[in-house]
Amino acid sequence: MNWLNRFRAPRQDAAPAPAIGELLRRWDALPAPDLGRPHFDTRYVVINTEASGLDLEHDRLLAVAAIAVDGGLINPRESYYARLEPDPAAALAGLLEFAGKAPLVVFGAGFNRSILQRAWQQWLGVEPELSWLDLFWLMPAVFRPGLDGPTRLAQWMKIFDIETFQRHHALGDAWSIAQLFIALQGRATAQGAGSPRALAELERARRQFTTPA
Amino acid sequence: MTVSAPDMLVGASSDFLKRFSPFDRMEAEALDFLAQRAVLGFHARGSEILTPEMGLPRHFHIIQRGKVQARQTAAGESASINLGPGECFPIGAISAQRPSTNAYVALEDSFVFQIGADDFLELMRISPVFHLFCTQYIASLLSQSRQQLQNTFAQRAAEQQTMTTPLGDLIKQAPVWVSPDTTTRAALEKMAESRIGCMVVCDETDQPLGILTQSDLLPRVVLPAFDLARPIEEVMTRDPRTLPASASAYDAALDMATHGVRHLLVVDGEGKLAGVVSERDLFSLQRISLRQVRASIEGATDIEALQRAATDIRQLALNLIAQGIGAEQLTRFISALNDALTHRIIALALERHDLYGVDYAWLAFGSEGRHEQTLSTDQDNGLIFVCPELVEKEPLKLRLLEFARDVNDDLAACGFPLCKGNIMASNPELCLTPEEWRHRFGKWISEPDPQALLNASIFFDFRVLYGNQRLGDQLRAWLNKTAKANSAFRRMMAVNALQVAPPLGRLRDFVVEDDGAIDLKKSGARLFVDAARIFALHTGVGASGTVQRLRQSAMKMGFPQDEVAAIVDGFHFIQLLRLRAQHLDTEHDAPGDNKVNPDALNELDRRILKEAFRQARKLQSRLRLDYQL
Repeated sequence: MNWLNRFRAPRQDAAPAPAIGELLRRWDALPAPDLGRPHFDTRYVVINTEASGLDLEHDRLLAVAAIAVDGGLINPRESYYARLEPDPAAALAGLLEFAGKAPLVVFGAGFNRSILQRAWQQWLGVEPELSWLDLFWLMPAVFRPGLDGPTRLAQWMKIFDIETFQRHHALGDAWSIAQLFIALQGRATAQGAGSPRALAELERARRQFTTPA
Repeated sequence: MTVSAPDMLVGASSDFLKRFSPFDRMEAEALDFLAQRAVLGFHARGSEILTPEMGLPRHFHIIQRGKVQARQTAAGESASINLGPGECFPIGAISAQRPSTNAYVALEDSFVFQIGADDFLELMRISPVFHLFCTQYIASLLSQSRQQLQNTFAQRAAEQQTMTTPLGDLIKQAPVWVSPDTTTRAALEKMAESRIGCMVVCDETDQPLGILTQSDLLPRVVLPAFDLARPIEEVMTRDPRTLPASASAYDAALDMATHGVRHLLVVDGEGKLAGVVSERDLFSLQRISLRQVRASIEGATDIEALQRAATDIRQLALNLIAQGIGAEQLTRFISALNDALTHRIIALALERHDLYGVDYAWLAFGSEGRHEQTLSTDQDNGLIFVCPELVEKEPLKLRLLEFARDVNDDLAACGFPLCKGNIMASNPELCLTPEEWRHRFGKWISEPDPQALLNASIFFDFRVLYGNQRLGDQLRAWLNKTAKANSAFRRMMAVNALQVAPPLGRLRDFVVEDDGAIDLKKSGARLFVDAARIFALHTGVGASGTVQRLRQSAMKMGFPQDEVAAIVDGFHFIQLLRLRAQHLDTEHDAPGDNKVNPDALNELDRRILKEAFRQARKLQSRLRLDYQL
């Protein structure tokens, strides 16, 4: 974060393209995470986006937010938020810098993941290879709420009585998703899904089970 | 973009915290410090968040959502409190940096903030509000503990006093009975011998056939000049009233009132005689009041009546604890009643011993001298008398000694065991003139060998219990003056007092003896008593009680008031625990031995006991400082 602030402060003058290149090189050099480690030994990064709408074709990405969940704990100081304007490259590079190669957690990967990868491609010219976990699938897989159970974020928040300081704000919703995720970790561990890899498998099974072939 | 993500999230945490006490009153900087460091975790229902086995708590927790149960297990009893949003734990354990004695278990799926133990201590340091909150929380444990104590005793007292007690529980001794063909003389002799108010007649299968009570004797035996050689069945009341052992005291009272009888026979399931319940047994169930006990002491005309009163004093002490009286008042009540009892015993003895015109005073030493008697205190007493000119001392002393022996024996009969060390007025060594007492005290002060110091710790706590108060006052004034002038003596006393350290452990909470217990007298109360005595001798305080000595000498020595209050609280708590232990023991007919096993105490008591010992340590370090030890 400190590094990022230094990097973003002088940007009014000119686009610090060299700095972003350096950042991407460093990101590239990071070791791949060990997805077999237990939750308490894993740093996950919850990612959320804010867009002008939900249409991938026409809507623009407005802001990105991330909160680290390290060892099952949410540390408010381990968080990131940036609007894309006025410098989308810096905002997106900063997100990558914050996330590292940690397994990413989103609610609704279909939209979030697509819009982010498109933006990374567009502004940074990269397509970072990352592992994604989607709570949209994982929440019902772990909490098994029944057929007409909750699907939307708001419904899950209500079940867990989770509050946030601002809904539909990238960071505000990320805060809720992060809380859902620590609850999920607790339950999933008890069910034997104690690592990022196990969660990914659980998610895949859930998709296959519910998505018609 | 002016607000960073961490700022927003930290702000969200502090907004949450501000909804609860004490965070709503917390200084802005401290709240920010807390919110910056509070990380959020999740605990699935049923999971253990903190248990005693986890050792030193590494985190301080604040519940964000959900419910956490604090379970306390001590001495086989368990209690639990549920904590909800905004409530925090563990406060005591993390402040004292020792393992929690509670187990904290998530009762529901719970989100809980946590900060590191170091951050907790730092927060205490930077936030007076938070510090006060934690201190008050710990202090509130004291009153909770007292409350708990009261509940225990209220229950016990209620059980004892209730008229629903089964008769089987009221029977005090195995039944005494004779067969129907026993001669009346033999039956009456047995009755007198066993000191009972009635004689039951049973057949060979223990089934009661009849009863003969004391009140039957006049009309049926004495006035008609009944031939005592004839069998008892000819004078007994046939088909006596019986009740099953399971019937209540209330049933018995009703039956007695209905049939105008004073004795009921209690029979077991097979109709066999199990015992006799008298009207008096039922009366004693009713609450004994302070006034009644006092009145019964003052109206007593013989030792038997005083013995009953002595039993009532113990019963009363139990009731007083149940009523929520603190250790200070309680020990004073016990002391006052014991004084009244001793007064009465002396007054009765004076009817047999003519001491008219003799100038003397009965002295109480040790805990009795300090008004700190617990329920198992043996006698420590002596006499001071003036031998007028032209009167021979030895015959006068002999008269006093005879009188003292009677009083000592009567006190023993009333439950004050004779002193094993013979510190009693009947000991010629302790029946002295003022000059002799001064000589003896002076010798201890000028040659403070270990025995002299031990003696000083008993005898310097004297007070006049009966007789000429001035004799005591003059001796006290002389003693204070002499001891004040002799700092070497006081220094030796301080060395002696520091030989026993408070049983606080470095690793464990308490240092226990081989049997796993702490001697609350030897390594608890004594530390306070010894220090207070030295302070009193130093400052010339005339009081003999520890608390009065501490309060009065502290004022002269410039101790801060609140420090003294904390020390006094600590002393009282230890005394309360001693009384409780003795109560529980006396109920099991074992002598109170002042021992307490810290593992058997509950969380609150253990915590407060530890604090009490810390106060003792504080006193000792003051002594060290004063005498440069």
